[in-house]
Amino acid sequence: MSGEGGAVGRTQPRLDAAAIEAIIARLLVVGTYLAMAFILVGVLGMLAGSIDPMNHGTPPPFDLSRVPGDVIALRPEGFLWLGIGTVIALPIGRVVVAGVGFLATQDRRLALVSLAVLLVVTVSILAALGLSG
Amino acid sequence: MTAGVVLLAGGFAAGLFGSLLGLGGGILIVPLLTLGFGVPLRGAVAVSLVSVIVTSSAGAGVYLQRHVANLRLGMVLELFTASGALIGGLVAFMLPVQALEGLFAALMAWVAISMIRRRDPPRPAAAVRVLPPPDGDQPPVPDAVVPEEPAELPADVAQPSFTDRLGGAGYQVRHLPVGMAGSVGAGVVSAMLGVGGGIIKVPLMHLVLGVPLRVATATSNMMIGVTATSSAVIYLLRDEIDPFVAGPTAVGVFLGASLGSRIAHRIDVRVLRWLFVVMLVYTAIEMSRKALAL
Repeated sequence: MSGEGGAVGRTQPRLDAAAIEAIIARLLVVGTYLAMAFILVGVLGMLAGSIDPMNHGTPPPFDLSRVPGDVIALRPEGFLWLGIGTVIALPIGRVVVAGVGFLATQDRRLALVSLAVLLVVTVSILAALGLSG
Repeated sequence: MTAGVVLLAGGFAAGLFGSLLGLGGGILIVPLLTLGFGVPLRGAVAVSLVSVIVTSSAGAGVYLQRHVANLRLGMVLELFTASGALIGGLVAFMLPVQALEGLFAALMAWVAISMIRRRDPPRPAAAVRVLPPPDGDQPPVPDAVVPEEPAELPADVAQPSFTDRLGGAGYQVRHLPVGMAGSVGAGVVSAMLGVGGGIIKVPLMHLVLGVPLRVATATSNMMIGVTATSSAVIYLLRDEIDPFVAGPTAVGVFLGASLGSRIAHRIDVRVLRWLFVVMLVYTAIEMSRKALAL
């Protein structure tokens, strides 16, 4: 990833901070529009199916394994969960990209910070699974 | 079907007014869902967290493109907001709902007081580049000047310390440990009450860490995504997110915030702000009544 910077005598990374920010920005903007598109399809499906959000019985639980089947079957909840999942995954994706970018720019401390943020999110997931179980 | 459209419209209004007033949707969505639609508080907080992640991601993308948000500082502080959000997300399931309602009422009262005391931002001069207001839980943007790109350091200059490198053009970050501690608090509040926490983070970064207000606002907006995600996964895996409520609300908030960010610089928000203060006070009273079972 890096080459020698002759004048300075230090390794010069190919990726710079501006490039990392540009990649993250694109990820967030495209990802948000994608998530909104999924959710919008789900909402339109809700409206077409006359599903009343305030009176539809027990909410469908989140089950990742059921999402692809629900999407293929054009069930609104499939698109809604796909969109909501994308929304929640976006910031995690941003941290992953930033962490990789910091590694590429040899900024080890911030790469470690990124890893620590991901660890906190992982602990959140484990804690939630523990509470649910 | 009607309730779905009303939810979408409510989300749109929350996103629009939140964006115009520099607040995130959370402070509006939670009372809208609980008082307006009878959604249980934890369910409303969960839906609100999804909405604030949406507006944070959309806003952060724009701010990073324009190099206004400080990615390095944001990454460091969000480690602590995320930790706070993990704690808050767990505590939220241990506290009685009445306690959460009471806390939310207190938060609304605090926001109302902050808005009353807030000074109006100066009108931007024609030559000054203006950015749309952030879409997170943020105050308006008084300093409308976009910071210059950081100047490159000469090769023979000694390597700056970690804290030095968190600064930007024309400012150094100071009192970082205080910022870290405050960020934990912001994360706890965010997770328990479903708000972005910008109302804590922006003053913290600006007044304590010495970050210019515009940069603090944009950086806080960026951090909200990870902060809210840390607690949103807890609500998600505990089946507290109703997709049929979250879907229309999130789409409405996204559309409203997008419109608000485009028209904000053309609207005089002073009257709007006072109306909002009245609404906040009224809602705080209603929340307090629920908390006290009056």
